[in-house]
Amino acid sequence: MNKDLEHSFVTNLEQNQNIVHKVCRIYTNDPDSHNDLFQEITIQLWKAYPKFRGDAKFSTWMYRVALNTAITLYRRSKRSIKTADFDSMNFKIKAEEYDDEVEQQLKLMYAAVKQLNDIEKALVFLYLEDKSYKEISETMGISEVNARVKMNRVKTKLKKILNP
Amino acid sequence: MDELELLKKDWKKQEGVLPRLSYKDIYQMILKKSSSMVKWIFIISVLEFLLWASIDIIFRLSGKYDDLAGLEVPGFSIISIIISYCILIYFMVRFYLNYKRIQATDSAKVLMQNILKTRRTVKHYVWFNLSYVALTTISLVTYLAFFTDQFSNQSSEEGVSVFLVIVITIVVLAIALGLVALFYRLIYGILTSRLKNNYKELEKLEE
Repeated sequence: MNKDLEHSFVTNLEQNQNIVHKVCRIYTNDPDSHNDLFQEITIQLWKAYPKFRGDAKFSTWMYRVALNTAITLYRRSKRSIKTADFDSMNFKIKAEEYDDEVEQQLKLMYAAVKQLNDIEKALVFLYLEDKSYKEISETMGISEVNARVKMNRVKTKLKKILNP
Repeated sequence: MDELELLKKDWKKQEGVLPRLSYKDIYQMILKKSSSMVKWIFIISVLEFLLWASIDIIFRLSGKYDDLAGLEVPGFSIISIIISYCILIYFMVRFYLNYKRIQATDSAKVLMQNILKTRRTVKHYVWFNLSYVALTTISLVTYLAFFTDQFSNQSSEEGVSVFLVIVITIVVLAIALGLVALFYRLIYGILTSRLKNNYKELEKLEE
């Protein structure tokens, strides 16, 4: 029984691991911390898995646990660097796809997102993942109206960081 | 906002460059132990319960309470045992129930609330103990000073006034409790400052 559970969990996570990697991208600045956070999210997902009933999609359920781990449960290891060296990050998508100006703009955007606080990062992450305000509000535990208000504030904040 | 839309487009393209872990990698991960803050909160809270319980036990074994009982304070020892253990059990049960409620599958806000609630139970227990120590010491000293001849005999011989004894007791007590409280605030602050900030940030939305 336990083996079956392990197998179904690992298979599910292997297929949906991108979600976890993306959360790690938003919340960490270097590969070591990325792996550290990935490890902790995996453990938290596994701990919660026996209660996963399959009435929600595995991926939807993952967003919650992954974000909760990143925001609340995870203890940042001392290794993590506060100021990220963005050129060395894997954030850059292959350079040939964009012209210089767009690439520059994207770099600034990622740097701006990194300056947001934990909660704002979560909102931006869910927004980038195309989640509805209903889903965002349920994941964060706030009302839909407040999710919208806060998202607008985050947008304004980003704008301010980009054009000081 | 144009930039955010641009970012969204780029965000979706990153799937190809994300790291990819194998089945075996992930399997290895679930065998490892968590190092989450909830685990640390649990460990530190249990240590606090043990610390206060052992202070009590050490006092009993060393016969300190017997000294007090001998000082004509009727029933002090037995009542204090019953009260302190009932209260210890009450706080431990509450702590355990709150701890059990912490689920990573709750919404961000509920999860934070439950962790803070768990931590608060321990905090209340520590505050209870500090006030208990303060109150019993003060009332004992007062009792001994005014209702027995314990001090009056001594003080007349050594020339120390009863009030001086009380004042010194209160000052020493205040300093000792202040130090414990400060130390405690430090532990509490280190453990939960990030959590509290994030919770406040979420609360701010509800204004």
